[in-house]
Amino acid sequence: MELSLKRRKKTTIIPGFSLTFGYTMLYLSMIVLLPLSMIIVNTLSMSWSEFYETITHPRAVASYKLSFGTAFVAGLINVFFGTMIAWVLIRYEFPGRKIIDGLVDLPFALPTAVAGIALTTLYAPNGWIGQFFDFKISYTPLGIIIALTFIGLPFVVRTVQPVLQNLSKEVEEASASLGATRFQTFVKIILPELYPAMITGFSLAFSRALGEYGSVVFIAGNMPMKTEITPLIIMTKLEQYDYVGATAIAIVMLSGSFIILLFINFIQWRMNRKFYH
Amino acid sequence: MTKPLEVKQEVPVVTRTTSNSYSLKESATVKWSLITISFLYISLFLILPLISIFVTAFEKGWETYVASIVHPDALAAIKLTITVALIVVPLNAIFGIVAAWLITKFSFKGKNLLITLIDLPFAVSPVIAGLIFILLFGAQGLFGEWLFEHDIKIVFALPGIILATLFVTFPFIARELIPLMQTQGVTEEEASISLGASGLKTFLYVTLPNIKWGLLYGLILCNARAIGEFGAVSVVSGHIRGLTNTMPLHIEILYNEYQFTAAFAVASIMSVLAIITIIIKNIVSWKAKDV
Amino acid sequence: MSIQVKNVSKSFGSFQALKDISVDIESGELIALLGPSGSGKTTLLRILAGLEGLDEGAIYFDGENITNVSPKERKVGFVFQHYALFRHMTVFENVAYGLKVRPRKTRPSKQEIAKKVNELLELVKLQNFQDRYPSQLSGGQRQRVALARALAVEPKVLLLDEPFGALDAKVRKELRRWLRQLHNEFHVTSIFVTHDQEEALDVADRIIVMNNGKIEQIGTPDEVYENPKSPFVYDFLGNVNIFRGRLQNGKLRQGQFEISAPNYLDSHDEAVGYVRPHDIQIEKEKVDNETVAAKITFIHIVGPTVQIELKREDNGEFLEAELTKEHYKNLEIQKGDIVYVRPKQLKVFIPEDFSI
Repeated sequence: MELSLKRRKKTTIIPGFSLTFGYTMLYLSMIVLLPLSMIIVNTLSMSWSEFYETITHPRAVASYKLSFGTAFVAGLINVFFGTMIAWVLIRYEFPGRKIIDGLVDLPFALPTAVAGIALTTLYAPNGWIGQFFDFKISYTPLGIIIALTFIGLPFVVRTVQPVLQNLSKEVEEASASLGATRFQTFVKIILPELYPAMITGFSLAFSRALGEYGSVVFIAGNMPMKTEITPLIIMTKLEQYDYVGATAIAIVMLSGSFIILLFINFIQWRMNRKFYH
Repeated sequence: MTKPLEVKQEVPVVTRTTSNSYSLKESATVKWSLITISFLYISLFLILPLISIFVTAFEKGWETYVASIVHPDALAAIKLTITVALIVVPLNAIFGIVAAWLITKFSFKGKNLLITLIDLPFAVSPVIAGLIFILLFGAQGLFGEWLFEHDIKIVFALPGIILATLFVTFPFIARELIPLMQTQGVTEEEASISLGASGLKTFLYVTLPNIKWGLLYGLILCNARAIGEFGAVSVVSGHIRGLTNTMPLHIEILYNEYQFTAAFAVASIMSVLAIITIIIKNIVSWKAKDV
Repeated sequence: MSIQVKNVSKSFGSFQALKDISVDIESGELIALLGPSGSGKTTLLRILAGLEGLDEGAIYFDGENITNVSPKERKVGFVFQHYALFRHMTVFENVAYGLKVRPRKTRPSKQEIAKKVNELLELVKLQNFQDRYPSQLSGGQRQRVALARALAVEPKVLLLDEPFGALDAKVRKELRRWLRQLHNEFHVTSIFVTHDQEEALDVADRIIVMNNGKIEQIGTPDEVYENPKSPFVYDFLGNVNIFRGRLQNGKLRQGQFEISAPNYLDSHDEAVGYVRPHDIQIEKEKVDNETVAAKITFIHIVGPTVQIELKREDNGEFLEAELTKEHYKNLEIQKGDIVYVRPKQLKVFIPEDFSI
């Protein structure tokens, strides 16, 4: 865990090590590390029973399931469609390609609250899209999935795109000349090359979706036990000045997302080991 | 390109078979199906919401639109948002450059850990990002009493909003610069230093020209997020109208008060900013490719 | 399997890669496609494999027109320049790939596939490497995996694109000999692309020399080397000394200096004579007008041969000669000496021949 001031043997004539090291550590500590450590400090001040009760409250448990579940589904949808869009943008020429390519970044650029109210209005029962469905979309978990899919799309497209771009054409040709059909080539040769990028894209989209607040609060409807996401529970507790409760839920959420990200990293590490040894 | 065909016996003239089979490329059916599905998907999730914002904003005509925007609360929100961005983006830019210099020009123990820590804010929910500053500076927080005694307001005031936004946008510029400067290596800087230039001069004349597009790219992304941040700011702002409401928070209030047209009017301004962001981003990545 | 290429042309945009190419290749031949980059040799190979379409003409395998047959059905084994191994598959899986992707009806059983793959790995001497990934192999090993993979589908034609291009000199020579042996064993019609004349001369039964999308010459290594049909072929197949002059009565004249060219009896005001460095004879005394004075500027001893650079005393042009070490010792020459150079085996081209 220690960041040591000792540099490795290889010295360089480039100046500024102490200055940049000092500044980086100071700024990082002030803006990120010290504030984040408050979560741990505050949790430690809680009694175990108090902590346990807060985090296992049925409303909280329902929110974990909802948050993790919807983020997971949205991530999967994004992996599928994101990869398809990346493929279409890289491999095909068609009118409007450049515009679509640019629009993929919209969720990065558009404030989440703006996306939230726009999607809610569109998918509301009387909205442009919602009116065509017999069932409710806005104010249900389905609506949450739509909002999370919206914000996660660019993560997958932008990680898969460069890999697809750099894929060697020769490998596909080798597969074809060995007698494979185009479908076989895609499944056995191209997809395995894309898996690492798809997993990275998924984990980025997933972790963003898990913590997402702005675009979801509007479309979720926020019904306790049904459409209340974990960040909203934290928010509600804060509004009631229940800082301790908010912190307890926050630590569950942080731990959950770290465990999942570690797991994804582990899978990826194993895949990379195979490729590059 | 094609020369006059001489007819030779028995030689069938094949006209242009760019790919003689579908074992190398998808059939036209598959291709156009994929394009159509992608197009529909983008339309449904990206284009339609964008259009709906503008349509709803102008539903009640131009006058209502203008009135919603020149409303004092709206103007105050716009001013606050700009102030926040003007403070946050340069601070994170300086950090990004310094951190990237440290990480790419020197080798030291714990470098990978440092990179992970810089990325940390991306993995933290914005709501939690707000929460941690409440825990630090709120009334019951670590420094709460001390701040109260000295009559300093951080939470529910501008400093809190700035801190939360700094946290949320913390990695953007560093993250853009580190891989870029990594691939550029240290040889040019070493050459400059060995020719007698100072560290600052070396940075200004050698490093900066090489990273300017990457830096600009990071600035744009950081700015977009700083302007649009909702969750974290919502926690620390206290929602005081005309004082601590940023544009996204102002939109929320209007929306919750069923002032849809006004909400979408302010949203439309932010959408225009988003579109400008995308356009600049595309120009920048296009330029960066040329260099 | 025999291959016929009939009047094939191919353009990429405004660049014409192949211009009306026709070749007949007999069953079991080992052919080298030799030429500089951009000469169209790789394009021709890719067209034969079906990886590239053509604009005009036709391709026949054993008399059957396969111009529109997909690469998948051509029964062609293709070895790519950078091997194009599947990096997420082991050596075994790479070699088995072509058999595994067959439709169920014609797919061999698992045991048969394993047997076949093991045989091939033994052939390429990689039986102990079957569980490795391509990233764990050296360049030469990767090349052999690529070859085994191509052979697994029992191709009727083996096409190799610059098969030794990315390897270092020693491995290259080894693999070259090994490819020759392999071909003698299997007798699969094989065509390989190369820009290295030594490789082509060393390995191939016949060489097709290409330039600018056209075939310059087809022939055995000996024919092509000894009797180049064009200045381009002459130049491309080895180092060369050039003598420009007037052709008269079976002699190429350059002022006083004349070189006998008994096979050329026409007269031309402008002619160019080509002489290989090893056909340059060095003499210490001036005996007749068929020699020209030159100063030795550089002596370079490479193993058993000695390369000598000379500068002509009359016009300052540089010449290159190649001697055996023994001959060099007997001559007792050194740098700075003035010697008399006698070109032999002159090959004369009249400028209209020039296609360059």
